[in-house]
Amino acid sequence: MLKTQTITLNLGPQHPSTHGLFRMVLTMDGETIVCLRPVFGYLHRGIEKLAETRTYLQNIPLTDRLDYICSMTNNLAYVIAVEKLAGIEVPERAEYIRVIMAEFTRVVNHLVAIGALLNDLGTFFTPMLYCLRERERILDLFEMTCGARMTCNYMRFGGVAADLPEEFVPQAREVIAGLYYWVDDLERLLTANEILLVRLQGIGVLPRELAINGSVTGPTLRASGVPYDVRKAKPYSIYDRFDFKIPTLDEGDCYARYLIRLAEIRQSLHILEQALQDLPPGEVQTKVSRLLRPPPGDAYACTESPKGELGFYLVSDGGISPYRFHVRAPTLINLTVLPDLVRGLRIPDLVAIIGSIDIVMGEIDR
Amino acid sequence: MVLQAVFMLFSAMAVGAALAVVTNKNIFHSALFLVVALLGVAGLYVLLEAPFIAVVQVLIYVGAISTLILFAIMLTRRLMDASERQRNEQWFISAIVAVGLFIVLVLSVGQVHWPVVHTDVPENHLNRLGQDLMEHYVLPFEVTAVLLLAALVGAIVIARERTR
Amino acid sequence: MAFLSDLLVNLWNWIAVQLDQFLPSWATALVMLFAAAVVIVVFLLLTVMFLTLLERKVVARIADRIGPNRVGPFGLLQPIADTLKLIIKENTEPAKADHPVFRLAPAVVATAALMPYAVIPFGRGMVGSDVNIGVLYVISISSLTVIAVLMAGWGGGNKYGVLGGMRAVAQMFSFEVPLALSIGSVALLTGSLSLVAITEAQRKLWLIVAQPIAFLVYLLCGAAEANRAPFDIPEAESELVAGYHVEYSGVRFAFFYMAEYINMFTTSAMATILFLGGWQGPFVERVPILSIAYFLAKVYGLVFLMIWVRATFPRLRIDQLLDLSWKVLLPLALMNLLVTAVVDKVAAQVRLSSTLTIGVFWGSNLVLVGVVALVLYLSYRRKRARGLNPHYQIHWH
Repeated sequence: MLKTQTITLNLGPQHPSTHGLFRMVLTMDGETIVCLRPVFGYLHRGIEKLAETRTYLQNIPLTDRLDYICSMTNNLAYVIAVEKLAGIEVPERAEYIRVIMAEFTRVVNHLVAIGALLNDLGTFFTPMLYCLRERERILDLFEMTCGARMTCNYMRFGGVAADLPEEFVPQAREVIAGLYYWVDDLERLLTANEILLVRLQGIGVLPRELAINGSVTGPTLRASGVPYDVRKAKPYSIYDRFDFKIPTLDEGDCYARYLIRLAEIRQSLHILEQALQDLPPGEVQTKVSRLLRPPPGDAYACTESPKGELGFYLVSDGGISPYRFHVRAPTLINLTVLPDLVRGLRIPDLVAIIGSIDIVMGEIDR
Repeated sequence: MVLQAVFMLFSAMAVGAALAVVTNKNIFHSALFLVVALLGVAGLYVLLEAPFIAVVQVLIYVGAISTLILFAIMLTRRLMDASERQRNEQWFISAIVAVGLFIVLVLSVGQVHWPVVHTDVPENHLNRLGQDLMEHYVLPFEVTAVLLLAALVGAIVIARERTR
Repeated sequence: MAFLSDLLVNLWNWIAVQLDQFLPSWATALVMLFAAAVVIVVFLLLTVMFLTLLERKVVARIADRIGPNRVGPFGLLQPIADTLKLIIKENTEPAKADHPVFRLAPAVVATAALMPYAVIPFGRGMVGSDVNIGVLYVISISSLTVIAVLMAGWGGGNKYGVLGGMRAVAQMFSFEVPLALSIGSVALLTGSLSLVAITEAQRKLWLIVAQPIAFLVYLLCGAAEANRAPFDIPEAESELVAGYHVEYSGVRFAFFYMAEYINMFTTSAMATILFLGGWQGPFVERVPILSIAYFLAKVYGLVFLMIWVRATFPRLRIDQLLDLSWKVLLPLALMNLLVTAVVDKVAAQVRLSSTLTIGVFWGSNLVLVGVVALVLYLSYRRKRARGLNPHYQIHWH
């Protein structure tokens, strides 16, 4: 092959396809990527350090700002960690509400992920807007419950901030029924689309071994054929009570990741139906001091956030704020395999891969 | 009179741009001036009532060849690198050759008796052209086609990525 | 009534006659020539302004939105607001730009976009200049666009721009070949390269009936030439940000924007003329003013199709795009040209009735499509046998 000079191209930090502020230094031979060096930190807000100066309760809103698409699951992971640290019990109704919110968040996240992926592939906003339209219906439910649509700040130690309003359950049922129908619709529009197939199939193949060695988690891992889901592997909250399955695919390419998300949306809807069915009456909050002083020690709690294994590691020195506050951000770790995925591919493939591993810079840079 | 003025305009455009091609230091600009020169020649063809040749000139020389040159410049040179030295050690020899060639051309142009036909351009000269290519000159036409095909295959073989 | 039935042409002639009374004839000709140019350019600029609105509205409707509706009734004044904004905006110019090239490129792009309209017949008797090689002229002008795109990409001194320019050249080169070949079969059937003559030849029957494959090839290549989705990779927003015009702002950007929409309009107009009978339609003979309405209706139909496609499909990758051009469209167009030539000659020899000839064309086109489908299917099977097309079976745990 004729050799041409390589050029260095800065993709980002301001670029429509980097989902925030993310810079990739590409060495390219024509359109082919020879080498990629990711550069993080453009959205660093020092959340982990900030959290050490605030009380445990004040830190909940901070977690909203990590992965700002799914604030509910971030809240959940954090409060579970604090509850583990301080040994707080949670009423049953609150557990159900938490699961309902977490699963709705999963649907929201996967919708946004699919929409953004299609946008990156160059569909002029149409599937994106369809996805956002359905997401709005779920955000309506969030707003009805906690007043906020994106940064919910809803979970509390020992429960949730407020009980569900009366009209929540019927409206949630309606949304779920609509989503079942609509996901089928989306599949009819996209899944067999010839252009989508040639753009996604065989692109960015993440082999099983590399996925495991890179500690990739979430849909990206499951698309590479590893049936690991924290909800099944180390059940937290009350996930052991529900009937749901973990989908995996063997191919590990962008298309597999896309299919996994669609399958997970359906599973989440299934869980939601069960949770709404069994939702018990009762308290939603145990009494916890606002100025929580957990006993000295440390705790790590991990949950299956929509993007992967989201863990919080907290160290307490007995004071009112954590001594150490560490976030295991799934997308940061998922992103570490990116240079291996894109080698030899082209810029459009890179964009598709970033879209398919679903990153949010708020969580990566913190 | 008007035609003459237009002729002068196009000629000046072609010649001036051609001079700019060789004197310009920026190779990308040179290539662009080449486009202008070729467009000037196309204008001359239009004046000669040969619009077909003019359009083909634009299509092939401007559309294909110049673009390829520009493309090659972008691909092979370090991006954004502007100007470069125009001469090497052999400029003196090539200058002599060029001047010699120029003298020969001028002399031969002056001596040849150019036939002038005092009839109008035939109405259907396009059809004639096509028929001639397919009937009288079919052998050269085909030979050219085979040559181009060989060049095409050769180019693909050279540029091909050796996978196995 | 007779005056009204061909209002525009008669008005035009009337003005010419009036001018003739106090101007020498060459001056009249000159004035009318300039007037024609001005009319066409103004018409195109207005068209472009409202095409942007149309596109936004249609895309919005497809995406289940309303679209612009704040400026004026139904957002009708939105294009004016947009234009004003673009004019008022600062013309930024990167310090590392190749300044003359950078400044020249928008002008070249806009000129090249406007030039085809010299030969495009808008209606019966409404054509700037009936050149007998009109089709070739339009194709050759599109090669000027390529140069302008390269100039823009290079001149900005931006790597995204250069990449976009290189993509644009690769794409336009590749698609020009099948495009010209698909027009070749039209020229073969009508026996002319003049757009007026091609339109006249379709009085009884639109060529799309005899040449469905050529029409499809033309439409695909035309979309690629005009950088329309799904072939808009030179300016792919999600990859190259804006490709070759990434560094432009203000009026200069407006030129690119305008050229892009004019190119879309040109492609649709050419497809209309070549395959959909141009301005032909019922009652055109008696009421010639209808012709321009028919023409615009057909063009807007195709424009709508292109907008629809843009709102629906992802874009292809450059290598897939070139594959499509060289491996599918080019052989298809070549075979179509060959088949058209043979069928046309044979039909003339054995004196087939015109209906039968059309039937034979249809049959041959169907066979061609069948052959292509078969070849594609076989290559798909081969790929699948090599394990390149996996099944994507979801396992549940």
